[in-house]
Amino acid sequence: MASTIASEYSNEVKNVPIEHQFNPYSDNGGTILGIAGEDFAVLAGDTRHTTDYSINSRYEPKVFDCGDNILMSANGFAADGVALVKRFRNSLKWYHFDHNDKKLSLQSAARSIQHLLYGKRFFPYYVHTMIAGLDEEGKGAIYSFDPVGSYEREQCSAGGAAAPLIMPFLDNQVNFKNQYQPDSQGTKRRDKKYLNIDEVIKLVRDAFTSATERHIHVGDGLEILIVTKEGVRTEYYDLKKD
Amino acid sequence: MAGLSFENYQRNQFLSSRTNGTPKATSTGTTIVGVKFNGGVVIAADTRSTQGPIVANKNCAKLHRMAPRIWCAGAGTAADTEEVTKLVGSNLELHSLYAGRAPRVVSALQMLKQHLFKYQGHVGAYLIVAGVDPTGAHLFSIHAHGSTDVGFYQSLGSGSLAAMAVLEANWKPELTKEEAMTLAADAIEAGIWNDLGSGSNVDLCVMEVGKDAAYLRNHRTPNVREPKQQSYKFARGTTGILSQRVLDVCQVEEQVVDVEA
Amino acid sequence: MSDPSSINGGICVAMTGKDCVAIACDLRLGSQSLGVSNKFEKIFPFGHVFLGLTGLATDVLTLSEVFRYKTNLYKLREDRYIEPQTFTQLVSSTLYEKRFGPYFTGPIVAGINSKTGKPYIAGFDLIGCIDEAKDFVVSGTASEQLFGMCESLYEPNQESEDLFETISQALLNSADRDALSGWGAVVYIIKKNEVIKRYLKTRQD
Repeated sequence: MASTIASEYSNEVKNVPIEHQFNPYSDNGGTILGIAGEDFAVLAGDTRHTTDYSINSRYEPKVFDCGDNILMSANGFAADGVALVKRFRNSLKWYHFDHNDKKLSLQSAARSIQHLLYGKRFFPYYVHTMIAGLDEEGKGAIYSFDPVGSYEREQCSAGGAAAPLIMPFLDNQVNFKNQYQPDSQGTKRRDKKYLNIDEVIKLVRDAFTSATERHIHVGDGLEILIVTKEGVRTEYYDLKKD
Repeated sequence: MAGLSFENYQRNQFLSSRTNGTPKATSTGTTIVGVKFNGGVVIAADTRSTQGPIVANKNCAKLHRMAPRIWCAGAGTAADTEEVTKLVGSNLELHSLYAGRAPRVVSALQMLKQHLFKYQGHVGAYLIVAGVDPTGAHLFSIHAHGSTDVGFYQSLGSGSLAAMAVLEANWKPELTKEEAMTLAADAIEAGIWNDLGSGSNVDLCVMEVGKDAAYLRNHRTPNVREPKQQSYKFARGTTGILSQRVLDVCQVEEQVVDVEA
Repeated sequence: MSDPSSINGGICVAMTGKDCVAIACDLRLGSQSLGVSNKFEKIFPFGHVFLGLTGLATDVLTLSEVFRYKTNLYKLREDRYIEPQTFTQLVSSTLYEKRFGPYFTGPIVAGINSKTGKPYIAGFDLIGCIDEAKDFVVSGTASEQLFGMCESLYEPNQESEDLFETISQALLNSADRDALSGWGAVVYIIKKNEVIKRYLKTRQD
């Protein structure tokens, strides 16, 4: 008998046989967010690590500088995320070894990660992956991947637990979606423009404080990695800990 | 009309056999505690209510008044804690009017557990009942299936383990009122910080023998949001409008009429 | 994805401002991924109180008629329109009456109390648990998106025209990230002596 209302506290009698199975996956919460600017890109993530209703760590970084000006984060099942980043770093090391320390371009990194992910098509890494860096013209770029390697280059993207909360906000504030020029009577779209680093950091901080308010798996700390042609810089801000 | 209606039950049973999953009711997630002290009892709760992993209300009230000096903290299905507390609260008042005596905590306890037992756990209310009456101060806890417990300190809800850790570490016999208030609030804070189902503020209710109950809403507020980095006010005219209409609003005019004239 | 409350799709949101409230909804009615109607309004006025209903469309219609019936009787008995606070209690008890066979809806209430002149909004779960908020309430298949938008865009004490922009942008951008919502939108701006209803320009995909 299926219960009429699912509540966490009611344990209804089931007339189906009880089955036990090992579940290889779990969800460690957290959320990540990437925005590309004209000559920079940021990849930010909260530092809370959870299972169910418990906090395992208040500071467990999940955005990494992989070298060659490539930032990477794989959010979802943390063990898979760590394994994937480790595998990518390893393949980058071999790439340098095999190709006389040649710098790996961001688009090649993206294609390489697709193969890492699709290689486990029938036992996937349970993660939403994002990488950030600069493209071959020096413009900021974000690539985001689904668990089995389908990917796309985007101006901005959010992944993980609070992605549904953050994504429409980014559409609205980065790409000015649904905004018209005030005196045009809804006929002319608001002009697109690149945001500068300060504006982007403000957006990222507000996106994360808002997500922290409404999502229980987001909080504790916010780590923002910024990549420019000068290199990678890290900023940290506290988030609410409740 | 009286009582609950089951007229949609069959339809919903059919619907849930055709679809997967049923909507979730708001759960209070919750940390709630109660602590007895010399000459009274205090109960406390956090103020977060959740729907799955989403915070539905950041400052909800989980302390319910059943009688002027009998209060109840609720965990579990939010609607059930609210309704069961209201129902028993009404019957308690009728009973005290009939008996001509102040309502007793044991009466509230008995009425609640009999109601919950009748519904075999389907009314998902997990309660800490406390209060003062002519027989002194009392503290009880009730589970959804109707079982009850007595104790000098109690905790319930998803944050009950965090809270109980604090209670077990710091409780001692013969607490003063102030000590009990601090202990209860500290226990709730343990839930707020360490349990994801609990959060925001601490509500408190102190019931002392021979005195009116003191309901301290938002006794502690350790989770005020920092100001945003910037304002997101839009320029007027940013949204595209297709058409607009001014609706008729009813205006009630009152006039005092001289009946004598 | 296909539990009863997300078969038809749709969203609702309400916000408070300075001496005003706003309530808005999308216009889509669908059957899973198939769009069926773009004229399905989810906000129903009862005097100066506004009720937004999302969820299973059959229950949205049934409940709107139940509340029309109940508020008409209330008016006959009291010789005045029902106040937002009173109506909120009515919604709660009506839903809880069906505790073990609920309507699959997420109602929200918005209005201005005609005695005190104060703005009032409230939301409910499907069995009538009241969520009394002072800033905003949301409901529907894009409720997560709405929570994210409202939490970041909202600021207290806005004038009615500024509140209109905020609630509209929150609704529109949320709907665009939900496959089951959109297809047009309506916003009600409610002040003490004036109610404006606006249809918004939206994406049609």
